[in-house]
Amino acid sequence: MIAVLTRRTLFILAFALLFGRAPAADLPGLWAERLKSVVAVEYVTETEVDRRPTATMGTVIDAHGTIIIPAGAIDPRAATWQLKDFKVYLPGEATSTPGDYIGQDAFTGWHFVRADAATRARLTPITTYAAPAESKAVALADFLWGISLRGKDEDFTPYILQSNVAFIQSLPQRTAITQQEVAAPGLPVFNREGQFVGLALSSFGQTFLQLSRGARSAAIMLINVEESSAVLLAQEILPYLGRVPKNVSGRPLAWLGAFGLEPMDRDVAKFLNLSAQSGAVVSEVLEGSPAEKAGVRPRDIILGIDGKPLPQLKPDSVVVRYIESEIDRRVPGDPLRLTVLRGAERMELQAVLGEEPKLIREAERKYFDRLGLTAREFVYGDAIERRVKAAEPSGAIVHHVKPSSPVAIAGLRLDDWIREIDGAEIKTYADAVAKLSEIERDEARPEFVILVSRGGETAVLRVKLR
Amino acid sequence: MSRGFNQLLDAVVRIDVREVAFEGGTKRYTASLGSGVILTADGLILTNAHVVSPRAIEVNITLANLERVGAKLVGWDHWTDLAVLRVDMDEVRRRGWKLVHAEFGDSDKLFPGQEVFAVGTPHGLTRTVTRGIVSNKNRYFEDSRGVNGYETGAFNTWLQTDAAINPGNSGGPLVTSDGKVVGISSRGYMGANNLGFAIPSSTANSVMTRLARDGAISRSYIGIVPGALQDLENFYSLEVSSGGVLVQSVDPGSPAARAGLRGGDILLQIDGVKVDGRFPEQLPPIQNLIASRPVGSTLKLSSKRGAEVRTYDVVTEKLESRVGEELALERWGLSVRKVSRTYARENQLDDDVGAVVIGVQPGFPAAVAGVSRGDIITKVNRQPIESLDSVKTAHAAYEAMPAPTLLETQRSRRVSLFILQP
Repeated sequence: MIAVLTRRTLFILAFALLFGRAPAADLPGLWAERLKSVVAVEYVTETEVDRRPTATMGTVIDAHGTIIIPAGAIDPRAATWQLKDFKVYLPGEATSTPGDYIGQDAFTGWHFVRADAATRARLTPITTYAAPAESKAVALADFLWGISLRGKDEDFTPYILQSNVAFIQSLPQRTAITQQEVAAPGLPVFNREGQFVGLALSSFGQTFLQLSRGARSAAIMLINVEESSAVLLAQEILPYLGRVPKNVSGRPLAWLGAFGLEPMDRDVAKFLNLSAQSGAVVSEVLEGSPAEKAGVRPRDIILGIDGKPLPQLKPDSVVVRYIESEIDRRVPGDPLRLTVLRGAERMELQAVLGEEPKLIREAERKYFDRLGLTAREFVYGDAIERRVKAAEPSGAIVHHVKPSSPVAIAGLRLDDWIREIDGAEIKTYADAVAKLSEIERDEARPEFVILVSRGGETAVLRVKLR
Repeated sequence: MSRGFNQLLDAVVRIDVREVAFEGGTKRYTASLGSGVILTADGLILTNAHVVSPRAIEVNITLANLERVGAKLVGWDHWTDLAVLRVDMDEVRRRGWKLVHAEFGDSDKLFPGQEVFAVGTPHGLTRTVTRGIVSNKNRYFEDSRGVNGYETGAFNTWLQTDAAINPGNSGGPLVTSDGKVVGISSRGYMGANNLGFAIPSSTANSVMTRLARDGAISRSYIGIVPGALQDLENFYSLEVSSGGVLVQSVDPGSPAARAGLRGGDILLQIDGVKVDGRFPEQLPPIQNLIASRPVGSTLKLSSKRGAEVRTYDVVTEKLESRVGEELALERWGLSVRKVSRTYARENQLDDDVGAVVIGVQPGFPAAVAGVSRGDIITKVNRQPIESLDSVKTAHAAYEAMPAPTLLETQRSRRVSLFILQP
């Protein structure tokens, strides 16, 4: 009985949706016009042993053919020189034109790619469809539609998705969640009039129950990677479209050096007599960082930035993202005033943001094919991870181990820290490269011994070469 | 069979144990069984450390006459997986029983292929005798979590036998045909055929004596992890005759690290005694050489790095397990284990302040607040946890008068705050 009733209710609901909320009559026309603002972008990540092609989607933001693609579309560990052969495809077309990778913006996370001159002429910037300033903000139950593209084997054929706003949330950016998927991640979403209202983010996970005969049902989380129902609203996008990186490294990058920010939940806030505001615990203060210079101490609780209390956001963890974006939107040299709680004392600390130390993806590295490893420069982040003084010269890290290679058989692992080669201490990256190059060249050599450190322990590995 | 063998059969007992486990945020009681052998006229029983541990709250012995009698734990040593119990002798006398005890044989005189018998209670089948041979008398394996999560095997090698050893055989004797105890059956490879292991009587005899006397064995620790040289002698330009053992790793902050030793060094002599660690089987005696020295004594280590040989003075510390004391804080739905010095070093913690959460009971204040297994509680109401007593006190105060309690925890170096709400 219940099942029948439910089905009938659903039917009525569907009926109401179909007839009650007819979309604008010229939707196909608006759709066709706005397709000129979207492209598919394909690129190759070149590694020691293979070339991995990736296809993603992007939105055109200006008349210079600049395209933004989502943060998650490129592996953050890949060095920029490993990203090759960027190609731009127009929806439904089998042929591509070359694109240029411009870099990533730290604040928005977007990667920027530029189409060539011929393609630019066929593109329309999304800003063309921006709603006038006085127009009504996106609200609950609003009808929205967006674009998605099929795969490369279907020539990135475009199609339309439609839905309604289920709720709007600050994460900390204003984000609309729709009832169903409304666009492909990275592609634009519009209202009934065809005005640009936002960009689809990568999708949230949904929990499903997996039932199989004879076994107990299990809850699994599924994430739709092709289509998304989360939309970053235009007010969080349009002001930042000018953040085109000045160079491919995305630098300058602002840095505070307060490590391991952990959100404070409401119960803790209440216990500490902090009403209607949030905070984040600083787990560690990094050596030589602007936070250290400003006098921040481990276990300080950040309560505010530049005199503004941290807002209470849902879920609690969003406050960490809030602090990070406050840092990321600034540049090195900018002041940042922190209100912190230390024990029972509240204090104001004045920091001046610094330049982020060299990142792992920026570290120098060299691949030794015969031995089967890539040695990478030891950078600041490695020192933090391994709890050693960042100021000391520190050698090299194993960045890649080729399967079944001599070093792999000897037991070398990814992220091993190279301390000695053949009994000689490795003090710098150059030491490691010199020693490994010498061994790689010497075809007569039967073996070498490498001392590595991993998880606070060391291991002596004997590498057989012949 | 021989008279000796018959006597041995009368000395083998079944052991039923009830013990407390601090799991899932509460105290739980579990029951298990094993085997043991009476080795003295005054009722000392030798068994495995993983059969009876200090967590045991009730130990019952079934004698050869099938009568049951209580017993108490006298001493425990997880490193050699041995425990010593004493039968309730008052009860034995009161009921007019006569205890029969077995005798140790010499495990050093065993030879591969020699016939041996395992006696015990496999899968609860009381008084089972199985037969096999000595497969290997010098098997090396170290297991960092082998005895209910405690470290084992660093200081002894094992007898390997094909006499069937199944769960429940643990703690029972491995004997020669004349009934002499040459080993204590302790483990087998599950899923393999007839690969069983026993602690040799040479180790068991001396451990039993010390446990009966002191209740525990104190060992010295300096913090080197030895590795077999195997065929690295050439690389380190060592004469085979000069011996040497590879220092595979040095525990951060340990006495050896403070003295300046590091991984990749070759240890040549300890207090003038040559050490030879070319093969894994040779490592336990070297470990023992260090461990057997009184805690706090100074060892002179002669060690080679490159071409240079240096001598280091290293003052030993007391060897500690990674596994600290455990406790259930039932009103909070938390079970915790004290951070030990060893645990702190292994996990690169700044110090040994704190207690690791080993269980959380759903629906209780800790679980509701979001505390999870693996978190290290470093402070309760802003008081650092130097010992479990401070947590106990805070918990007792909460029990007496429940009030919001602030916990500071650490997990992979991230510090979080939680409130336990009544």
